[in-house]
Amino acid sequence: MPLFGKSQKSPTDIVKALKEAVNALEKGEKKAEKAQEEVSKNLVLIKNMLYGTSDAEPQTDIIVAQLAQELYNSNLLLLLIQNLNRIDFEGKKDVAQVFNNILRRQIGTRSPTVEYICTKPEILFTLMSGYELQEIALNCGTMLRECARYEALAKIMLYSDDFYNFFRYVEVSTFDIASDAFSTFKELLTRHKILCADFLEVNYDKVFSHYQRLLNSENYVTRRQSLKLLGELLLDRHNFTVMTRYISNPDNLKLMMNMLKERSRNIQFEAFHVFKVFVANPNKPKPILDILLRNQDKLVDFLMKFHTDRAEDEQFNDEKAYLIRQIKELRPMAGH
Amino acid sequence: MKKPEEDKNFSIKSENSCKNKKRRTGVHKMETATESLIFENHRFLSTLSLGKRKISEDLPLGTHGTFRQKSSTFEHTLSFSGCARAARQSIGNIGNILSRKMAASTSQPSVPWPNSKDDYELGKVIGVGATAVVHGAFCKPRNEKCAIKRINLEKWNTSMDELLKEIQAMSSCNHENVVTYYTSFVVREELWLVLRLLEGGSLLDIIKHKMRVANCKHGVFDESTIATVLREVLKGLEYFHSNGQIHRDIKAGNILLGEDGTVQIADFGVSAWLATGRDLSRQKVRHTFVGTPCWMAPEVMEQDHGYDFKADIWSFGITAIEMATGTAPYHKYPPMKVLMLTLQNDPPNLDTGAEEKDQYKAYGKTFRKMITDCLQKDASKRPTASELLKHPFFKKAKDKKYLQQTLVAIGPSLETRVQKASKRQPGASGRLHRKETGEWVWSSEDEGEDAASSESDTDSKPMNTLASAGSSGSDHESSEGDPPPVNLVLRMRNAKRELNDIRFEFAVGKDSAEGIASELVGAGLVDGKDIEVITQNLQKLIDSRDMIKVVTFPLNSGLTNNETPDDKALIGFAQISITD
Repeated sequence: MPLFGKSQKSPTDIVKALKEAVNALEKGEKKAEKAQEEVSKNLVLIKNMLYGTSDAEPQTDIIVAQLAQELYNSNLLLLLIQNLNRIDFEGKKDVAQVFNNILRRQIGTRSPTVEYICTKPEILFTLMSGYELQEIALNCGTMLRECARYEALAKIMLYSDDFYNFFRYVEVSTFDIASDAFSTFKELLTRHKILCADFLEVNYDKVFSHYQRLLNSENYVTRRQSLKLLGELLLDRHNFTVMTRYISNPDNLKLMMNMLKERSRNIQFEAFHVFKVFVANPNKPKPILDILLRNQDKLVDFLMKFHTDRAEDEQFNDEKAYLIRQIKELRPMAGH
Repeated sequence: MKKPEEDKNFSIKSENSCKNKKRRTGVHKMETATESLIFENHRFLSTLSLGKRKISEDLPLGTHGTFRQKSSTFEHTLSFSGCARAARQSIGNIGNILSRKMAASTSQPSVPWPNSKDDYELGKVIGVGATAVVHGAFCKPRNEKCAIKRINLEKWNTSMDELLKEIQAMSSCNHENVVTYYTSFVVREELWLVLRLLEGGSLLDIIKHKMRVANCKHGVFDESTIATVLREVLKGLEYFHSNGQIHRDIKAGNILLGEDGTVQIADFGVSAWLATGRDLSRQKVRHTFVGTPCWMAPEVMEQDHGYDFKADIWSFGITAIEMATGTAPYHKYPPMKVLMLTLQNDPPNLDTGAEEKDQYKAYGKTFRKMITDCLQKDASKRPTASELLKHPFFKKAKDKKYLQQTLVAIGPSLETRVQKASKRQPGASGRLHRKETGEWVWSSEDEGEDAASSESDTDSKPMNTLASAGSSGSDHESSEGDPPPVNLVLRMRNAKRELNDIRFEFAVGKDSAEGIASELVGAGLVDGKDIEVITQNLQKLIDSRDMIKVVTFPLNSGLTNNETPDDKALIGFAQISITD
């Protein structure tokens, strides 16, 4: 049976064969090895229909539409993801490729697969839990980020309880998995501006209490990455309300002041970009103002000596000069 | 509470800190229907018209994943057997790797690669680069040797995403001929990558060693050895390409050998994803390329249209020459010259770098034909890796054992290698690469025995700076400030008397005519004798740029015997014009 070249099998046949094979694999009977082969073989067939091969073009839209329909009807997408860890190394990558291609499929402005997944959110939750398993984490990450590009799907993920698992995934010890989870996490929190802003506003307390843990993580990469993302979130105009709330909390200011003094210069620098927002705020609440006033001289001194070797970075130097001026000019609130 | 602590040792460029100005790299039509090569040296956009090809459209820099932003780099050679202990127990390595990758499917009980520093004993340093050190190491729970690449993240100026991409490229590979990644984890401010230890060193180490201890005038390795190694490399490349990846830096320095004769392609530092990689958060990544000029395919140098996995086939062909002659064909020349030679001359072959005629006559037709097939300037004519594997030359290939005898056994001793590794200065090797802004940068090369050689055992200091969008809080691109630079083109004939257009910018108030002229000379684009006339005329043009747009002037560099000066045909003359 040739793996490449024109397949005589119809989408219906292939999907049926694949489903049977995945079911056999799931049961994990004696024939598991054979089932695995069967799964891989059919995945390659599907992949080739969608992407073509070096000597065959991708299949026509009609065939692809048929294939997609079969995949929906058979519930195979979910089944594949649930059994991803049982599929062999190359097969896992094929699942991700097939999934992403089907997901991107459009009919006019409609994305039928997105609509389908909205009715089967379990697919998303299964993918998210994929970060728990080393062998499939990156494959699931690839699919999740493709999902996150669609607002409807991002919304389901953001507003689910499972979203908070990301705070754990981004800290796992295997670097590639943690960073992959972080890029998905970041995508979810930044991709769809209005959705993200609403989400952060509504869930401010829960999200930021979790976020605090990332900023205090033992893991240098987690600390650095989460601090950088925090800066990006706060400085995004869409998140104005969230920013205002964040910079009104004196605990947040204290944390940033401590991070300015971290050993790592990269972390200091990222902290600067959050710290500046506290200072630049024209309506500083009293507790914030008090902290700044208490440390007025020290802060000015500190900033004067802060990263002086960044001579070529004009924007940074302008901002630093601005902060120094602002802090120097701070006066206690009238009437106190 | 964290204590304040100053550490001034790091030089950092933050991603936030760079304003990234978009440069124009457009190529305008010239009256001679010639294709233009765009490259920038420092501040020049030099358009060389090479007189043979046709003009191509100016593509946006960001077309599919064809050029990848240069990630900060580390050394290539993570291969020496620096690990003194655990003499030899790694024959079963591949089995172990597979068992890890296939953990779900095979029930072989093996301890997974741990993510804790205490589970590893670091051995000798076997490679040093700008941001990383590679150790031979021993994994205690598994009782197994490995290599550990320690990347200092404080010095890693490029975004973490770049780093992640490299590691994902590695971890998405499961092939005998592609370097095996086990795991990675963070230790304080370092990232530790745990990789398979290839104890035979890199092919380049072996070549250099052999050239030191034996007479290699008529060739370094016999055809069977070359065929055996290259077939393995091809299998790795075939897999790589089927994965949608381009390696982009195939050369002997990046081919590693195991003690058992295993051949693996290493260093994913520059490997790129083809268009399929769109899921990797790509934001505003500016496409930049890297590679080492001697091995670089013409279309990669040109940069005006995308390149694909066929670029690796070119580099593979150069590597074949390298294995026979010991060096890449243009290794004697400075990088800018290599670019010009590669683009202007016919493709190199075994005899290109030969000092004597017939020096390499021992190598047969089939081998030469294979090289010719790879080194076709028209990338579409080059065979794919799969097609090449069927080339008759590879019938000469033997097995691993053969390599053990012909390569591993004769390789440099442990002491030499370790010594060599420790001699390397961070950032002391070189590479040509484009910066974010599109500028060409050459980071100079480790001198080694032969000056101007451009093999890089270690990698260059990352010269690029990443300009990331957004995070600095300003919504504006840096539109304020300086007037736009004046775009100019210097048209003159090169040593081969072909007409060239050298494009560059002149920032009034910042640049000096003299500075630019000397950069042109420094880049090997202009004869030193012409520095003065170019300075004067450039100054003249800039000063009166509101009135005149073109100056034509005689050159001092002289004519060849049968030439008569002609200011129309630009024989003995050059012309500078303002292009905007």
